Amino acid sequence: MSVREAAPLTARAPVTRTSARDRRRRGGQWWVPWLFLAPALVLFLYFKFIPMARAVSMSVQEVRPYLGNTWVGGANYAEILSSDGFRSAAWNTVVLAVGQTFGSMVLGFGLALLVEGQTRKLTFIRSAAFLPVVVPLAVTAELWRIMYHPTGDGLMNQVIGLIGLGPSGFINDPHTSLASIAVTGIWRGAPYDMMIFLAGLAGIDRGLYEAATVDGASTWRRIVHVTLPGLRPVFAILFVLAAVRGFRTFTEVFLLTNGGPNGSTEVVMTLIYKLGLEQSRLGVGSAGAVLLFAATLVLTVCVQLLRRRRSA
Amino acid sequence: MGLGVALTVAGCGGGGGGKAAQDPSAPLELWARTTPGGDGEKGMKKLAAAFEAATGQKVEVTAIFDDFETKLSQRAAQKDLPDIVMNDSSQLGTMVGQGIVREVDLSAIKGSDQLLAPAIEAARAADGKTYGVPYSAQASALLIRKDWRAKTGLPVPANWDQLVALAKAFTTQDPDGNGKADTYGMAVPGSTKRGYASWYFSNFLWAGGGDFIAKQPDGKYKPAMTTPESIAATTWFRDLACTSKVIQPGAATMDTPPTNETFEAGKTGMYVVGPYLMPRFDSSLGKDKYEVVPMPKGPKDSTVLAEGGSVYLMAGSKNEAAQNAFAAYAISAEGQKIGMEGEKAFIVQLPVNKSVDITSVRPDPRWKLYADAYREHGRYAPSIPNWTVVRQSTADTVNALIADCGLDTGAELKKLDQKLGEALGQQGIGAS
Repeated sequence: MSVREAAPLTARAPVTRTSARDRRRRGGQWWVPWLFLAPALVLFLYFKFIPMARAVSMSVQEVRPYLGNTWVGGANYAEILSSDGFRSAAWNTVVLAVGQTFGSMVLGFGLALLVEGQTRKLTFIRSAAFLPVVVPLAVTAELWRIMYHPTGDGLMNQVIGLIGLGPSGFINDPHTSLASIAVTGIWRGAPYDMMIFLAGLAGIDRGLYEAATVDGASTWRRIVHVTLPGLRPVFAILFVLAAVRGFRTFTEVFLLTNGGPNGSTEVVMTLIYKLGLEQSRLGVGSAGAVLLFAATLVLTVCVQLLRRRRSA
Repeated sequence: MGLGVALTVAGCGGGGGGKAAQDPSAPLELWARTTPGGDGEKGMKKLAAAFEAATGQKVEVTAIFDDFETKLSQRAAQKDLPDIVMNDSSQLGTMVGQGIVREVDLSAIKGSDQLLAPAIEAARAADGKTYGVPYSAQASALLIRKDWRAKTGLPVPANWDQLVALAKAFTTQDPDGNGKADTYGMAVPGSTKRGYASWYFSNFLWAGGGDFIAKQPDGKYKPAMTTPESIAATTWFRDLACTSKVIQPGAATMDTPPTNETFEAGKTGMYVVGPYLMPRFDSSLGKDKYEVVPMPKGPKDSTVLAEGGSVYLMAGSKNEAAQNAFAAYAISAEGQKIGMEGEKAFIVQLPVNKSVDITSVRPDPRWKLYADAYREHGRYAPSIPNWTVVRQSTADTVNALIADCGLDTGAELKKLDQKLGEALGQQGIGAS
């Protein structure tokens, strides 16, 4: 049960040692690391941080590029927060993020356990399983749209027909559309999670498994008492990554349903896109984007704090 | 930190309103919303070259398709707009609202008296002034699988009842003879994307006497989706999906590309579209396989959606005389003919100039049918400051109604009217 024994060694101690040695070797020129970071920082500044600042400033204005913007204070926020559309989109986003995050994690973990090992056959299977991640999302969405064809001869309907279900409307039915998009997201996200789990599994001390086997633990108990505690840090990383990914879901929704039918799959990102770029109301769209950023930030910070408290 | 860093500080509220110093020899920069390297760009370049040959005035053509409006906004922020923008006529309200187009004095545009009435109307903004010069138009007509109709023995539909009867026959009588029930009467792009569902439905709503928003005597607008006519038209359209089930499955998530494919692949037998798809269907399906007929008459009349492209004269140009000259050339008989020539690379769908007979350039009678539909029954979306919001809200509702047959039409339309009322209020044109 001792987690700390099973957790991989933190790399902090060796780093401080090497950096001290490096500093001696280079006479402590503090700007050297910054010099290496500069190209990335300049790009980040120009393409990330300045646009972010712009979004914040636009969110309190009515944006009219040629006539000049006018200050409207919190009006954009008030409008977006009070609109039904935003509330249901926020709810859909949370449901989709939670569904996709846990679905991908469970499936990814299962896959990782299945394909963990050294043989060459497994390498091939791992690569094949990873394919959904590298296929462009636009292609994935289009394929799933075809597979979700709502008649009895649609591919997915034939599959569920084998066990006597269907035919379902999938993305065309407001009651099943969000779940259908979540399934597409899980299909795409699980192999990515699988890869990270595999890396985590490789870091677990084999001796612990052997000791558990000697003690007569079954496979299930080995997973519960050795594997899962050993993967704690991996879970935390994956959770943050997947949640942030889930919050920013856009492409699959945009391509599969564009928020329909009847707003059942509208997520915050598609709503921002509609308000800002389709209806040219950039101020209101920016307010939505800032709120989304704030939510993502809060979530990330919370997870980090929880982790710190755990490992303290 | 640094919130204001990148803020473009615009001058006073009406920045950019002033007239730039004029230079009659300055070249014109023209932006067209069309795919770079595509036929539309070739057509634009052809027109620009002809204009240059006729006047000696240089025009630089840039084709942009993706994020056209965003890129235009960026140039607006830099106070350096192109001189001419060729874009959808329905963008007028948005562009006027952004203050990036200048008012057009029609008396300064030679030949503007030859423009067709609905085209001039489409160039008028909510404030009654003219802000663009339409150079191309299009309207809707009904495409029918000719071979399927022959098999059913039914006539070309002249009214909505006959349309439904034919759609039912296409759905139930196995017109393609493959022994499977896999054909449908009507192709409908029912997605909410870009407001497709509402765009398609407008043909039926208007022919049924309904309307999205109704203009009041004082020039303001009231939502009109709960009038008896609008409710009847919406119910009728919804029944196609929910009662007679003649619309292709999956319509609620299809925009135009997959919908076009259903017609090409022999899954749907009727499709209401503009003339721009004929070249495509001629090559994919075959000219002999389908017929183009006027829209069947609705409960009120045969109104169809008219759309088109306009020449927008952008604000702050250094060469307003050349802007006017280009717009005049685009609508002249010569310019219209050049715009119509070619099998593919044409930029003028239907001429907007009274004196131009489409058959002189395109002898194919189907084009004449479209031209007549436009002249006699074409109706543009109203030029309000932001039509996109109205189109999108309506598309959301129409999409919901065809996707979920359990919804109550009346209640949904009431909700829609409320949304439209709010949108009109925000745009300052809501009638109290």
